[in-house]
This record gives sequence, C-alpha cells and structure tokens, in this order.
Amino acid sequence: MLWLVQFSGIALLFAGSPLLWGVTQSVKAHLQGRRGPSVWQMYRVIAKNLEKETTAPEFSSLIFRLAPSVSMTALTVVLIMIPLSGQAPQGWPDDLLTVFFLLALERFWVGLSGLDSAGTFGGLGASRTSTIGTGIEPALLATFGVLWKVSGATAIEPVSASLKAVPTGVFAWSLAAISFALIVLAELGRMPVDNPDTHLELTMIHEATILENNGRLLALSQFAMTLKLTVMTALGWVIFGPHLASAWANLGLMLVELTGTSAALGWIESRFTKIRYFQLPTYLSIAAGIGMLAFALSSGGFNL
Amino acid sequence: MPDSWQLTNRDHKAAHHELLTLTASSDCSLRTVWLNPSDNQLSVAEMKIAEESFPSLAVHLPETAWDEREIHDMFGWIPTGHPDLRPLIRTPRWPETYLPLRKNQQTPRWLEVEPDLPALKVEGDGVTIMKVGPTHAGIIESGHFIFSLIGENILHLDAHLFQNHRGVEALLEDKTIDKVAPIVTRICAADTVSNQTNWASAVERLVGFTPAPGTVLQRIILLEAERILSHLNDLAQIPAGVGFQVAHQRALAMKESWQRSLELLYGHRFLFDTVHPGWTRSAPADLLLDSLANLHRQWVPWRQLVVGHHGFADRMSGVGRTTLAQIDRFGAQGVAARAAGKTFDARQSTAYYEGFFNGSVTRSAGDVQARFDVRLDEVEASLQIIESAAGQLEIESPTELEFLVPKDLSGRIVTFTESPHGLNSHDVTLVNGIVFRYHIRSATFRNWPLLAQAVADNAVADFPLINKSFELCYSCTDR
Repeated sequence: MLWLVQFSGIALLFAGSPLLWGVTQSVKAHLQGRRGPSVWQMYRVIAKNLEKETTAPEFSSLIFRLAPSVSMTALTVVLIMIPLSGQAPQGWPDDLLTVFFLLALERFWVGLSGLDSAGTFGGLGASRTSTIGTGIEPALLATFGVLWKVSGATAIEPVSASLKAVPTGVFAWSLAAISFALIVLAELGRMPVDNPDTHLELTMIHEATILENNGRLLALSQFAMTLKLTVMTALGWVIFGPHLASAWANLGLMLVELTGTSAALGWIESRFTKIRYFQLPTYLSIAAGIGMLAFALSSGGFNL
Repeated sequence: MPDSWQLTNRDHKAAHHELLTLTASSDCSLRTVWLNPSDNQLSVAEMKIAEESFPSLAVHLPETAWDEREIHDMFGWIPTGHPDLRPLIRTPRWPETYLPLRKNQQTPRWLEVEPDLPALKVEGDGVTIMKVGPTHAGIIESGHFIFSLIGENILHLDAHLFQNHRGVEALLEDKTIDKVAPIVTRICAADTVSNQTNWASAVERLVGFTPAPGTVLQRIILLEAERILSHLNDLAQIPAGVGFQVAHQRALAMKESWQRSLELLYGHRFLFDTVHPGWTRSAPADLLLDSLANLHRQWVPWRQLVVGHHGFADRMSGVGRTTLAQIDRFGAQGVAARAAGKTFDARQSTAYYEGFFNGSVTRSAGDVQARFDVRLDEVEASLQIIESAAGQLEIESPTELEFLVPKDLSGRIVTFTESPHGLNSHDVTLVNGIVFRYHIRSATFRNWPLLAQAVADNAVADFPLINKSFELCYSCTDR
C-alpha cells in the first residue's frame, strides 16, 4: 500500500513539476496586471527545445553536455527518496545526508557547466552559484540537524510529532521551518535572491550558468529547474508540514500544499525586489543563524 | 602655449556657460556656441582648420573629447593634444580614405574585416574582461560594452556605441528645406519633438518669423507630452533592473495608455511629424484634459506603490553615484545632471516657456534614487504645464500665420530645446535653401561618458539598474 502511494506520488510530482512552475508564473502575471501564458506553458517550452538542434560552445567539454543530465538525475533521485505521504515504505532509502549531498552535487555540476561553457557570463554565474552555495550548505545542515537531534536518525520524516517531546519544540520547529524557507528561496534562485525571469544577463545567477545551453540541453536544464522547485518544496512540507492519518490523504494534502506554495512563491516574487548581490551573505547567514538556533533549541540546550 | 581658440572656450567653461555645439564643417571651419544661462545670450567662437589639424580642447574640457574624436573620424582632421584618439564612430570596415562628412565622398567598398575597435581595458592579475552586446537579450538598441571586472566589481567600462552608422548628418546635407523634417523627426523616437522643434525654429528664425501664440502653446504641450512619455518609459525600466516586476509592468501599461492618447490626439504614438516650420499639429483642449485626467488616475496609485517600497529604495540609494564636480567636468545634462544638484534646465532659457516653467527639479545625491525621484517630479510638473497651456488654448485664437520660406534662404543658426534626456541642440547651415551642414549634439551624446564614470566601483550586477537610471538613447548619438 505505502509502495503504491509512494510510486504514484513520485510519478505525479515528476510529471507535474512544469505545471507547478506555471502556477507561479500565472500568479505573477496576474499580480502584474497581465494575462500571461497558460499554466501549461513550461511543457510547451520544454517540448519546443527538445525538438531544436543542440549545439555546444567551441571550447566546452563533455562536462557541459553532461551537466543537465547530472542535475536532472540528482534531483530525480532526491524526489524518489522523499516519503511523499509522510511515511516511507519499509526499507526505503530516505537518508537526509544523501539528499544533502545530492543537492550539493547538483549545484556543483551546474556551476561546473557554467565554467565549462567558456563564456564570461557562465563563469560569473558559476562564481555566484558557488558563493551562494557556501551560505546554503551550513544553513541546510543546521535544519537537517534538528531532525537528526529529535529523531536520532538521519531519515526524512515529519518532525512535528517528535518535537513535542522537547520542551522548546515549537520554537525549534518554527525557527527551523523559517530557516528552511529562506534557504529554499536561495537554492531555487527565486526572489529576493535571484530573478528567474530576468533577461538582464549581468544580474543573473542560475540563469547565467545555463546561458549557453540550447536544444535538448536547455530542455533538460529547464525541466531540472522546475523539478528542483517541486523537490525542495515537497521536502519542506514532508519535514515541517501537518500530517493526516491516511497515506493517500497525505499525498492529496501534499498536492494541495505544493500548489499553494507555488502560488505563494508568485506572490512573494511580486512583492519583493531582488536584494543586492553583496547583501546575499547577510541573507544567508541570517538563514544559517536561525537554523543553528533551531538546532540548539531542539537539543534542549536552552531552557526558555 | 594655448591659442585663442582654447582660451576662449576655456573662459566660457570657467564662466559656467553651457556648450551647445562644437561643429566642424567641410569648409574647414570649427565653431563652438555657448549659452550663458544667466542672460540667455549665445556666444560663438570660431577657428579655421589649417594643415588638417587643430588644437584639442579635450584635456581642459573633457566634454569635447567625443566631439573631437567624431571630427577626427568624419573629417580626418587631427585634434592635436587629444589624449585618446581611438576611433569613436569609424569602423575598421571603412577604407582609410573614406571620410563621410567631407564633401563629394563616394560610398566605398567596405573592407571584409572584424568590426571590433580597440578597447580600453584594465590589465593585471584577477581582472576579467567581459564583453556585452552589441546584440542584447532584451529589446534594446545596439551598444557594445567592454567591462574590466575585479571579482564582482566594475573597474572600468568602455562603451562602444555608434554601431548603426545611419549617416543621419550626411543624409541631411544637400537636402532642400522641405525634405529635412521627415529625417529630423526620425533621428530618435524618444526625443523626436525636441528635434523637430529645433529644426522648425531654426528655419523660422532664419526667415524672421514669429509663430502665433497658439502654435507656441501647442509646441509646449507636445514637448511636455514627449517628456512624460519618455519619463514613463524610464520609470518603468528602473524597477525592472531590480526585479520589481509589478511596478515595471504597471508603468508600462501606463505608458501604453499615454501612447494611445497621443495617437488619438496627434495621430502618432511617438509624435512623429508633429512640429513643422511655420505650423504645428494641434489637439483640442478638452481631449487633452481628458487624457491628462486618465493618466493621472493611473499615476497616483503607481507613485504610491514605488515610493513606499522599502526594498526598491534600498536597491536604488547610493548606487551609481555621480558628483556635481563630475557633472560639470563632463558637461552632463538633463535628469542625470539635475539629480546631482545642477540646476540648469534648458526650458529656463527657452522663450516659449515664459510663464509656464516653474524652476527645475533637482536632487543632490546623484544616485539612482535621485534620478528616479527627479523623473517622478518632472512628470508631475509636465502634467501641470500641459494643463495650464491647454487652459490658455481656448483664449488664443487658432489662426495660423502665413509662413513663406524664401527659395534662397541662407544662414547659420543654433537652436536648442530641453529634450526628455536634457539639452539638445542643432547647428544648421543653409545655403540658398539647401542644407550645407546639419550637426546634432543631443543630450545623450553629452551624458554617455558620465555613465562610464558612474558605474566604476559598483557591482557589475547593479549595472543594468544604473544604466536604466540614465536610460541613454543610442540612436540620438548614432551618426
């Protein structure tokens, strides 16, 4: 039974990622007073790029051509690992540290391919991606540490129940959730960290690393981008979200949560401006600081 | 030992006069025209070019550096003592003998070589050279930018503009008076009314004709309508530079609605072909006031949205700073100059505006925020000017005066207006009813070198924002 729920969840989320992207875009268009393209637009874009000829910059190597597949694979594996109904089937590989390293691997390859594209923008994008990465990783580790602290294992599972046992549990839960939310925005390259819709090549972060991609490579990168949105939000909801008794109901709840998050992302992106690049370390260290605090509270280190 | 040409011009600068034009003509003459903003008098300095060279002003008057490079490219005369004589407009595809503005030039065979010009770059450890354009990711004009970066910071920017080689000035030469207006209208879509007005008043003043008060009112309305249009566009682009999409899209919608009003009023969304020597396309006062009210309805909530936004203000303040000393040194004009505290606005020196212009809008910070704020206030001032001019339209009789241009009209005159981008002047020479030389010194031509100064030491990620806060036009400078 759990297996069936898990596999349906994986299939739904994998196939539905571009749709979630479309929801964000539609909300944004609506708030800007535009009609905007349909929520299915990302599917059309990916399909169009799949049909196009694929070329690579003259001085690029195999890395450039492999990178989109690597990030696609890493993210798909992460998606598979997340117990989408809040409960993993028996023996399911749901190790948090593996997730952490898979995300790091994905970021590393995206940066590498930016460098390998042998263009200035790619290099700038790679430099920016890894700079942000150094801020993301400690914050992510801290929130994952909260889980480890309360459950005693590094498995992906709902944290709320176990935290009830800790006196400062509610604080720890909310701080960890805030830290994770801030990190998700940075990791996904959304506002206020990066503007995924910009055409201004000098301000780009993630977009700059895939600027030279076209055809099949671009389609894969775009799919990976939408998949990352799904994976990160699903991860957040499984860990911090509410849970129902039935596994199927939980999966249904997850779909509602993901759609809601995508819409909320559109709202956030319309309300905020991008912060200065040189202020990103502040943003990231706030996220990491909150995460560390959550970690300390979850271990009962402070008596409030 | 500086000669009289250098001394005279330096004296004008020292007296805080504004340089209207520096024009070379194929009769080997070189002429500057200065405006004294305190009494609105023009002074002319002239010299004859001998032995293919002339003493350069660029060291003491950096604002003439581009003019002299342009003269060097177009006429082949050498400004001796010029610190940087790299080609400005000339491309490696032109044969060396091709000097476009000398008379009797044949169109040559273009050479099959790479178009890149020598760039001024910083060299050293850790310095990255980044080239952007001339084709950009957005729908913008063609400019090639060569950045020298150290990490994320801009050390130096070398802007290579003048990519399109439209040959505007060469095209205007040898045209009869009736053939000029369609070309002048199309020099630049953002400053077209300003350019048209400069040409119209050049002919009118050479003839000795004073336009009817109703015509003057219509010209003021057109000039201000154009300023509103251009400022709305710039105000829409600045939020885009920081990803403030809501403000960006809503301002674009506002601009679109203003353009539709203009089409209704004048038959053209960009106000092309509206001002002519002797007459001006006119719009009825009641329709004008309706359009103003319509714009105002959208303007008020939009202004509230952008003024109250903390993140937006944070991104703009302190970025792309220019000082008043830099403004003076480079002879910068318009919004960029007033945002750093310069009070000059050419409308104060234009007879048309007497009784309508209530002083220039200034700020002192000289950053993106200041340039944004100056535009906000100027839009509102322009709305008021149009409103009061439209109010007077009903009093003024609509009679058009008869305007006859003598077939052999000859003479030379410099006219200027405050375009949306700043002081825009034309130097027109007519010989027997035919254009002998037509030189345009637009506001953006004056401001481009300042932009390069303003971005140095800023984060390269802030360049689009700074660039948009200047929003300099490329076609205004295209030769």
